[in-house]
Amino acid sequence: MSASSPILESNSPTGPIADRWANHRFDLKLINPANRRKFSVLVVGTGLAGAAAAATLAEQGYSVKSLCIQDSPRRAHSIAAQGGINAAKNYPNDGDSIYRLFYDTVKGGDFRARESNVYRLAEISNQIIDQCAAQGVPFAREYGGLLANRSFGGAQVSRTFYARGQTGQQLLLGAYSALMRQVASGGVELLTRREMVDLVTVDGVAAGVIARNLVTGEFERHSADAVLLCTGGYGNVFYLSTNAQASNVAAAWKCHKKGAFFANPCFTQIHPTCIPVSGKHQSKLTLMSESLRNDGRVWVPKDNTDRRTPSEIPEDARDYYLERRYPSFGNLVPRDVASRAAKAECDKGRGVGDSNLSVYLDFGDAIRRDGAPLIAEKYGNLFQMYEMITGENPYKTPMRIYPAVHYTMGGLWVDYNLQSSVPGLFVLGEANFSDHGANRLGASALMQGLSDGYFVAPATITAHLASGKVQRLNTDHPAFAEAEAEATARSSKLLGVQGGRTVESLHQELGQIMWDNVGMARTAEGLKGAISSIRSLREEFWNEVRVPGEASHLNPSLERAGRVADFMEFGELMAVDALAREESCGGHFREEHQSADGEAARDDENFSHAAAWEHKGIEQPKELHKEKLTFDYVQPSTRSYK
Amino acid sequence: MRGNLGRALSASIGKKAWMAISGLLLVGFLCAHLAGNLLLFIDQDGSAFNAYAEALSSNPLLPAAELVLATLFIAHIALGLKVSSQNRDARKVRYRVSANHGGRTPGSATMLVTGVLILVFLVIHLLDFRLDDSTHGDMAAAVRKRLGSGSGAWTYGIGIAALGLHLSHAFASAFQTLGLNHPKYDNAIQLAGKGIGVVLGLGFLAFPVILYFSSGAA
Amino acid sequence: MKLTLNIWRQAGPESEGQFETHALDGVSEDMSFLEMLDLLNQKLVMSGREAVAFDHDCREGICGMCSLVINGEAHGPVKGTTTCQLHMRSFSDGDQIVIEPFRAAAFPIIRDLVVDRSSFDSIIMAGGFISARTGSAPDGNAILVPKTDSDKAMDAAACIGCGGCVAACPNAAAMLFTAAKVTHLASLPQGQPERQSRVLSMVKEMDEQGFGNCTNERECEAACPKEISVATIAQMNRDYLKAAIFTD
Repeated sequence: MSASSPILESNSPTGPIADRWANHRFDLKLINPANRRKFSVLVVGTGLAGAAAAATLAEQGYSVKSLCIQDSPRRAHSIAAQGGINAAKNYPNDGDSIYRLFYDTVKGGDFRARESNVYRLAEISNQIIDQCAAQGVPFAREYGGLLANRSFGGAQVSRTFYARGQTGQQLLLGAYSALMRQVASGGVELLTRREMVDLVTVDGVAAGVIARNLVTGEFERHSADAVLLCTGGYGNVFYLSTNAQASNVAAAWKCHKKGAFFANPCFTQIHPTCIPVSGKHQSKLTLMSESLRNDGRVWVPKDNTDRRTPSEIPEDARDYYLERRYPSFGNLVPRDVASRAAKAECDKGRGVGDSNLSVYLDFGDAIRRDGAPLIAEKYGNLFQMYEMITGENPYKTPMRIYPAVHYTMGGLWVDYNLQSSVPGLFVLGEANFSDHGANRLGASALMQGLSDGYFVAPATITAHLASGKVQRLNTDHPAFAEAEAEATARSSKLLGVQGGRTVESLHQELGQIMWDNVGMARTAEGLKGAISSIRSLREEFWNEVRVPGEASHLNPSLERAGRVADFMEFGELMAVDALAREESCGGHFREEHQSADGEAARDDENFSHAAAWEHKGIEQPKELHKEKLTFDYVQPSTRSYK
Repeated sequence: MRGNLGRALSASIGKKAWMAISGLLLVGFLCAHLAGNLLLFIDQDGSAFNAYAEALSSNPLLPAAELVLATLFIAHIALGLKVSSQNRDARKVRYRVSANHGGRTPGSATMLVTGVLILVFLVIHLLDFRLDDSTHGDMAAAVRKRLGSGSGAWTYGIGIAALGLHLSHAFASAFQTLGLNHPKYDNAIQLAGKGIGVVLGLGFLAFPVILYFSSGAA
Repeated sequence: MKLTLNIWRQAGPESEGQFETHALDGVSEDMSFLEMLDLLNQKLVMSGREAVAFDHDCREGICGMCSLVINGEAHGPVKGTTTCQLHMRSFSDGDQIVIEPFRAAAFPIIRDLVVDRSSFDSIIMAGGFISARTGSAPDGNAILVPKTDSDKAMDAAACIGCGGCVAACPNAAAMLFTAAKVTHLASLPQGQPERQSRVLSMVKEMDEQGFGNCTNERECEAACPKEISVATIAQMNRDYLKAAIFTD
């Protein structure tokens, strides 16, 4: 936290930014094709990053093992991404370029991402589209047969490729099919319903993992010369998020405890257009594509005592607060800005719905202007989904929306090679921290997952495999026995408490602490309170949790308990990081650091760094390592949407 | 894949294709059969029908034609039983509640039952008119006698109703199985299938109904 | 609202299963069907019983993990909807609900309502892909794909691999699942080189996994949460027969 914090080196290449990736690849050592099969690579997770990496590494000839927590790799949560994937193809001839995508991403991330990484991402974006088209991803096409593009998330160019509202699904199924091709040919050994429960390191180098077979309950040892962690984000620390139920931080957290630094955990993205919470029973939040804001107008009643139905509230009694506060961008301000504004209105008591925790997204004007059929053509499936969940018809009454946790920009710290601070442990996709800075732009998550999986890690893995650090251990090494014994003991401990609270109720309570204090707006006081609340809740968890059944069979309660136990530790780190970052940037908004008109105030002088935390024991303070961010190409400026 | 033709055609889709082809050919036979039978109503004394019966039975190609027909029937039935038994094996534990999702029809849900009924009926029918030498000579009178009786009318009525129900699903199903379907033609084929079921069903049903009520037995 | 649930419980693949009856009070109509089961499970756990195991993940109708046959219907009574998106307002106070696992020999039960659908992965492994090595692709626009073909491919590719088609099929056939992938890839120019070998080997694998035969009853289409059309099955039959008869 002090100026004396250790400095972290990113191993980024230098020189002209456009040549960095090419030069770096040339500098990386190669491994002879005949020798590759002698190297074992373990890929944990089968989302975009994991499936793409496993398939590609197997194509290259490595011996790949792939672990998947669900019953099939096709279930990974990448599948739920709706909007699209960006690429700098400039097919629409509207002024896009690799440099512009790079520029927009650095700026969109509020100048908290590494320039070299972002440029590489923009550069690779084009190859991703080519690769996916070749795999048979049914991208939207124009009548002439060319790929179609749309503008997304307020971007000024049309660079988003899409497959209806199911782009994530189609890209994942593409990666899944590439993976299954390798499984069929013997290049990949696929193990499903396996949860990684620990990383095994020997002399600080990754040597494999311990996984639990979720069907039999057995703990398994898997050794590998390199481990690729592709396990997604940690949004479920909030209990309610748009993540899938199985999305968790456990694998990353175990790596953190074994020496991998965790960077910028406080950078979370809150998506503004989600279906609001309907009651305490709710288990998940559903995202509505932000394309809705192209035609919908956001408003709340001016008078917070106004309980009339929306149709009875006349124009002059409505406050279209985004249009009022941000006249030039209006309803299309970026996600973080829109989310905070909705929260601000609700905090003033102007929220609508039974809980007063939602705002209207009104299509009345658009329907009057374009007619219901045109609106139905654009948003029909979303309206249908909304009605299915809420029982309200958005053609007749305004939708109600509220922000929800959607994506986490923070993650395990990695260098330019995607290698973590544990040699031999690489981290890909949402699980790492690298490319989005403090705020992710729409349609960039899919791009990063596939970039890491198809192109970056398969090239950079030799940074470890050819480094001479590979130990070639098998699972007989005592480190495996030790890690397995720990995992077994932990599982017995969870089953042994037999207290008076369910895992869900404890998770829900943690989520509430996180949402109230480490959510859209944070204060030093709130964060300090959260840290102590989390600590006492963690204690309560271990004294009061009740996990039924046994460890020797499929036991979803036990799985969930293990994951929540890790969230109980991780949540504290998020709050610690948010407290240490005395500025507002992107998804991180500290109320103490705002401009006179309530906008985020960044502090480049003191916080132009990635904050990478080192674990020192669960009750010990973490050690902060700083990776200084330098901007050679895009000069930090204030984001303004007024 | 060369040389795998036999294997490919004995796989699930292959078996279904054979069933579809044999079934469609049998439908062709039924059409011809109905057309011939209608001669019974042309005159009062049955001479046209008898002449037709005589021409058929004295045709030197009859044994070959009968062999083909028998092969089609046996293949269709054998494959049907094989497919049904595989289908039963594919779900060993049944559902406690089994609701119609909206695709099944009375015809589609009863294919095995109607198929077995048709088989039983076919045997009776052959015993009645093909294997009983006493009918030869005045076939028309034999038909009138058999179908004019109460038991005959019921037997033929039930057999023919089963046939109609079977066809209401079979015809369109065969097109789908052979891949000769497309959303553009689907409605037309479905309609034609139902139509064939109704036309052949009512056409054949006319015999027991008319003969029974005109025989004075009613 | 108050419900009576008849739920299939089975300790393991080899165990005998049976129905268990639970009265559940306090169900809100805003709950999803799975949230209703969450509520039941919390009550079971607090009363010292084990939670009912069921598969679920994204809870937004896209991952294909959730299953269940509800009152005899795969994914419940609402058309074009997965179990996770089914809400309790589709039921009434006092209803009896029978909840069973997807039943098929090719989907063995693991525990309670959880079944093993890895047979679907095996079908995909047999050919549900286009062999395109990473890095070897031509420019995305080098191969034109007519919009109608791309739309047709997308209609079929929308399959979420949930197995609802198998569960709903009177014969536990996997034709709609297999046909959806065959049609997706056969509709695109990129899918042509492997079109014939793909359909032959995917169908072969489908048979070997122990799925039933298609009797064209269209229950699969009616139950499919993504409303995949049986036109894909006609397409697969056509491709299969063509490939079987004419391939070298």
